[in-house]
Amino acid sequence: MGVEIPKLEALEEEARREIDGSANLQALVAVRARYLGRKGSVSGVLRGIGRLAPDKRTRVGQQANAAKQRIEELVVQRRQALEQGEHARALSEHQLDVSLPGAGRALGHLHPVSLVMRDMERFFCSRGFSIEEGPEVETEYYNFDALNMPAEHPARDMQDTFWVEGGFVLRTHTSPVQIRTMTGRKPPFRFVAPGRVYRRDASPRHSAMFQQIEGFAVDERVSFADLKGVLYAFARHMMGTDTALRFRASYFPFTEPSAEIDFRCVFCNGEGCATCSQSGWIEWGGCGMIHPQVLRSCEIDPARYQGYAFGMGLERVAMLRHGLPQIRLLYDGDLRVLDQL
Amino acid sequence: MRVPLRWLAEWIALPDVAELAERLTAGGLEVDAIERTGPDLSALQVGLVRERLTHPNADRLSLCKVEIRSGELREIVCGAPNVDAGQKVAVALAGTRLPDGTPIKKSKIRGVTSEGMICSARELGIGEDQDGILVLDEAAEVGARLDRVLSAGDHVLEIAITPNRGDCTSMLGIAREVSAHFGGRIELPEVSPEESGPAASRDVRISIDDSEGCYHYVARLVRGVKVASSPSWLVERLEAAGLRSIHNVVDVTNLVMLEFGQPLHAFDLAALQGGEVRVRAATAGESLEMLDGQTRSLDVADLVIADAERPIALAGIMGGSNSEVGDDTRDVLIESAHFAPARIRHTARRLGLATEASYRFERGVDRAGVERAAHRAARLIAELTGGRVATGLVEARGVTCPQVDQIELEPARVNRLLGTDLAASEVCSLLKRQGIEILDQDTGHLRCRVPSHRADLALPEDLIEEVARIYGYDRIPTTLQEGPLIDATRPASWRPVELVQNSLRAEGWIEVASFPFIDPQDLDHLQLDADDPRRETLAVLNPLADRESHLRSSLLPSLLRLVRENLNRQLDHVALFELARVFRVSKRGELPEERLWLTAVVTRGEEHDLWAVPEHVPLFFEVKGAVERMMAALGLPAVLRAGSAQPYCHPGAACSIVIGRRILGETGELHPEVATRFGIDVPCAVIELDLSAVASLPAQAPGYHDVSKQPLVRRDLAVLVDQRQPAGEILEAIRKRGGANLIAATLFDRYEGVSEGKVSLAFRLTFQHAERTLTDAEVSKAVDRVVQMLGQRFGGELR
Repeated sequence: MGVEIPKLEALEEEARREIDGSANLQALVAVRARYLGRKGSVSGVLRGIGRLAPDKRTRVGQQANAAKQRIEELVVQRRQALEQGEHARALSEHQLDVSLPGAGRALGHLHPVSLVMRDMERFFCSRGFSIEEGPEVETEYYNFDALNMPAEHPARDMQDTFWVEGGFVLRTHTSPVQIRTMTGRKPPFRFVAPGRVYRRDASPRHSAMFQQIEGFAVDERVSFADLKGVLYAFARHMMGTDTALRFRASYFPFTEPSAEIDFRCVFCNGEGCATCSQSGWIEWGGCGMIHPQVLRSCEIDPARYQGYAFGMGLERVAMLRHGLPQIRLLYDGDLRVLDQL
Repeated sequence: MRVPLRWLAEWIALPDVAELAERLTAGGLEVDAIERTGPDLSALQVGLVRERLTHPNADRLSLCKVEIRSGELREIVCGAPNVDAGQKVAVALAGTRLPDGTPIKKSKIRGVTSEGMICSARELGIGEDQDGILVLDEAAEVGARLDRVLSAGDHVLEIAITPNRGDCTSMLGIAREVSAHFGGRIELPEVSPEESGPAASRDVRISIDDSEGCYHYVARLVRGVKVASSPSWLVERLEAAGLRSIHNVVDVTNLVMLEFGQPLHAFDLAALQGGEVRVRAATAGESLEMLDGQTRSLDVADLVIADAERPIALAGIMGGSNSEVGDDTRDVLIESAHFAPARIRHTARRLGLATEASYRFERGVDRAGVERAAHRAARLIAELTGGRVATGLVEARGVTCPQVDQIELEPARVNRLLGTDLAASEVCSLLKRQGIEILDQDTGHLRCRVPSHRADLALPEDLIEEVARIYGYDRIPTTLQEGPLIDATRPASWRPVELVQNSLRAEGWIEVASFPFIDPQDLDHLQLDADDPRRETLAVLNPLADRESHLRSSLLPSLLRLVRENLNRQLDHVALFELARVFRVSKRGELPEERLWLTAVVTRGEEHDLWAVPEHVPLFFEVKGAVERMMAALGLPAVLRAGSAQPYCHPGAACSIVIGRRILGETGELHPEVATRFGIDVPCAVIELDLSAVASLPAQAPGYHDVSKQPLVRRDLAVLVDQRQPAGEILEAIRKRGGANLIAATLFDRYEGVSEGKVSLAFRLTFQHAERTLTDAEVSKAVDRVVQMLGQRFGGELR
C-alpha cells in the first residue's frame, strides 16, 4: 500500500478538524487514539514507510513524523482548553450565598471586671508582685482591729458592714489580706490581693458588692515617692499613657501618711462635668505608707522596715473603658448589657 | 460640714474661692461642693448713664442713654427719681432675666422703645430698697459682669471631714487650716463675759461619778434671761451653716459650737433638782425623754448628766425634755464638757442617734477649749437675752484625757518615708505653720509639742503626714521602686479560672457576677436533702433584703434567678456562667469554708437558632460537648459518667464529671420540678465544677509521643443493638477489644428507624502500626474480633 504525501496532508487536516471539534476530554482522547494511537491513521502511515521506495522513505517518514508531532501538539492545546473550560464551569457552578452567617455560636463574653483583672495581673506580675487571696468572710480582727480600727473607732463608720453569724463580717475591703500575707513573712516583698468585697450600701452610685485590689510592698527604704511611681505606672497601663493622677491627703487608720488617688476626668479632660461632679477629677482609690501599728500587728519591725499599700475598685476602670454609666450594670446580670461588652 | 465663706473671712483673710477649695482638698479637707447662695447676677452688666432726658410723653419717666460697650448707647426708660447722668448702674438688657427669673424684653413704654432695665437693689435681690435704682461704685468697670462688681450672696463650702480631724469641725479649725496653707493671722471673737451677781457656785454643784467617761465638765450660769427668738444675723448665720434657729439661748450654744467646735448644752437651772449636776453612768432601767420628744431606755454603758434625782441629758448627744430651756426659763446653766469619745460613740451607735454634738465628741474636742466656749456662750447669751453672767464658773474633772503632748521626729526619717529631700529647717517650718511647736532641734531630733486641738497626732508618722500634706503631695517625687528581684507567683486557681473563662466564652456564653446572697428556701427549690451539707449556710445578720438572708452554698439559685430575669427580658438563648466562692459553716469558731465554683446555666428557647446549632443536636449534648472541650482545655482526663446524684439534675439526662475517683462536678438538664420552681419554662441545662478541687490537681503540660509515618486503615461498622444500650459502654468495649493497632474508635452516627426497640450505631475504627504497613488480613482479624464481641456482649447485629 503506497502512501502519498497529499494523503498525509488530508489526514492531518481531518485530525485538526476533529480535535477542534471534540467537545470534551473523553472525545479528545478518542480522537487522539484514532490518529496517533497504535492503530491510528498516522501510525499506519509510519508503519507503511518500510514498503515505500527507498528514495521516498526518508521524505515521507520525515513528513509523517512532523505531522504526528503537530497533531500531538494540537491535542495538548485542545486538552488544556477543555480543562480550563471544565474548571471554569466547576467554579461557576459552586456559588454560595456567602452573606449567610458563619456556623456555630457567636463568641461569648468575659465579665468586664475579669478583663480588668487580667490586665492588672499582667502589670503587677511583671513587676515582681505576687498575687494573694484571702477569705471573703473575715474575722473582725483581720477586717478591722489589725488594721488599727478598734471597735469604737469612728473610721468603722466609713464602711457599712454586713455582719455574718458566728461573729464574722463580709470583708469590707481587701486590706485583711495585707495582714494575713505579711504576718510571718520577711521583707522585702510585694503583693497584690484582688477580690470581691462587700459594703452594706444600696445607693444607686454604689454596689453592695464590688471588686477591689489591694497592693503592698515592704522593704527598708520603699517610700511614698515609690508608691506614687507604681500607681502612675499602673494607672497608665490600665487607662492610657495620658492619664493624670492627683494625690490628696486623707485618712485611713491603716496608713500614715494617707492619700486619696484621683485620676483626671476622661470625659471632660479635667474641665468639670456631670460625671466628675464638676471637679475635673474622679476618685480612684486610697493609699499610703503602712501604719507602724499595722506592721507591728504583722510582727514586722517598723523601726527597720517601711512599706506602702494601696487599694482601689476595679469597676471604675471597666466602666470607663465601656462608657458604663452605673456600677450596678456590671452586677445586674442583664445579658442585653453584658453581651455588648 | 458647711462653711460659709463670709463668716470664715471674719476669722482669717481668704484667697480666691477656687484656690482655697483646691488647697484645702489637696491638704485633706475635701471640698465636696461649692455652693453659691444669693442672687445670680451673672447675666447683668454695669452701664454708665451718659445722658438723662425726660420722657417725651411722661414727666415722671426718664429716658436714659446708657453705655455698656464703648461708643454704643442703649435707650432705656427708667421710672426711678434718683437716676442721673454720670451714674454707674446695674443694667439688665432685653433678652436676659432678672435674678428672680423675670424676663426682660424690648418694649415700648408710652411710645418710646426701651432696650432694657436699670435695676433697684430689690430687683437685684440684694436688698429691700425699691425707691430708686442702685447706684454702683464709681470704680465699677463699664460693661463688666455685675457679679464681678457686686458681692451679693456668699459661697458655702461643703467640706468632708475625715474621722481623725475633729478639730476641723468649726470655723476656728478651718481657719487654722487656711492659715497653715496660706499663712495669715486668726482673729478670735470676743470671749470674756462681764460677770455680776452671786457666784455661780452658790446655785449649782458639779460632780463626776464616772471619771473615765468625762475628762472635764465646766458650767456657767446666766441669770435673768428672757428667752426669745434670735436676731436675724444669728438666724442667718445658723441657716447658712445648715442649722435651724430655735430661740436665742439654744442658738447661741449652736453658734459657739460652730465657732469653736465645742458642743454646748443649756439647762433651765430651775429644773435641776437639788441644784446638782452629776456626770454618771445610767443605771439599769432608767429612761429619758429627750428634746426630740422620744423616750429612750438607757443602758449602764451610757453616760448621762443627772441632777440629784434623775437623768436630765444623755451626755454629749442630746438633752432631756425635763430640763429644757423654754419661754419661762429665767436662769440658764451652760454646760461645756469633754467626754470620752468612745463612750459617746457607743451610745450614739446603740441608739442610732447622731447629733451635731455626738459627731464632734466622737472625734474628740479640744481639751483646752472647754472653758473658752463656756465663756463665749455666757457672754453672748447675756448680750442677747438681757441676762447677767454669774461670777465664776463651776467645774469638775475626771481622769486626764489621754493625749500625746510631745513627739520626737527625725528629719532624715521624714525623707526616708516620703522619698523627699527636705532640709530640717523646712520640716520645722512646715510643722510650725500648723501650730506644732519645735521645742528642741539641737540633737538632730526634733522635739515637737502637739497643740491641744490635735488629738490625732501621736506618732512620728503622724507628723510626717503633716509635713507632707502642707508641703503638697504633688511635690513629692514620683520614682520607680528599687529592690531585689522577687519571683511573682499567683494562686493555683488562677490558671484553671482563666482556661474555663476562655473555653466557655468560645462556646458563646456570657460571664456574670452576682451577689453572694440566697434565701434558704432556694435550697428547698433545688430539692436538696435535709442533711445535704449545702444546707449549712451562714446567716447574714443585717441583710439588705429578706430574700438575701444567707450566704450562698451554691451558685445555682443566683444563676437560675438571673436566667429567669433574662427570659423575662424576652431573650431566647440565655447562656451564662459565674466563677465565685460558695460558703459553708465550718467547725465551731473557725472561718467558714470557702470554695471556688463554676456554675453555668444554658437554655434553649422556641426561637432556637437552627443555623448556629442544628436542631438534631439536643441541648444536653450541646452542653456536654462544652464540658468536654472545657475539660480538655484544662488538660484534665475527665470522664463524664452517666447519672448524677444531684437532686436538681434530670435523673435521665445528667452526668457526673469524674477525675480519677473524685466527682468534681455535674452536667445535665435541670430537673423539670426545679425549673418550675424557678419559673423557667424552656429547656435548661447546667454545669457545675468545683474549681478549688480542680486547682488542687497537678497541672502538667501534655507530653510528646512519636507520630507514626505508616498509613492509616479505617473501617466502619454499623451495629444494631437494643435502644436502651448506652453507646458509651460499647465504644469502651471496642477500644479494649480492638487490639494494639486500634488507635481510635469513634461513634459517627446513630439511627433509630431500622426496627422497633433497636438503634443502629455506626462506629469508625482507625488502625495503624508504628513501624510498618498493616496488612488487610491483620485489620480484618481485629475487626472480626470486635464484631464477635459486639454480638456476644451486646447482642449487636452487624448491618
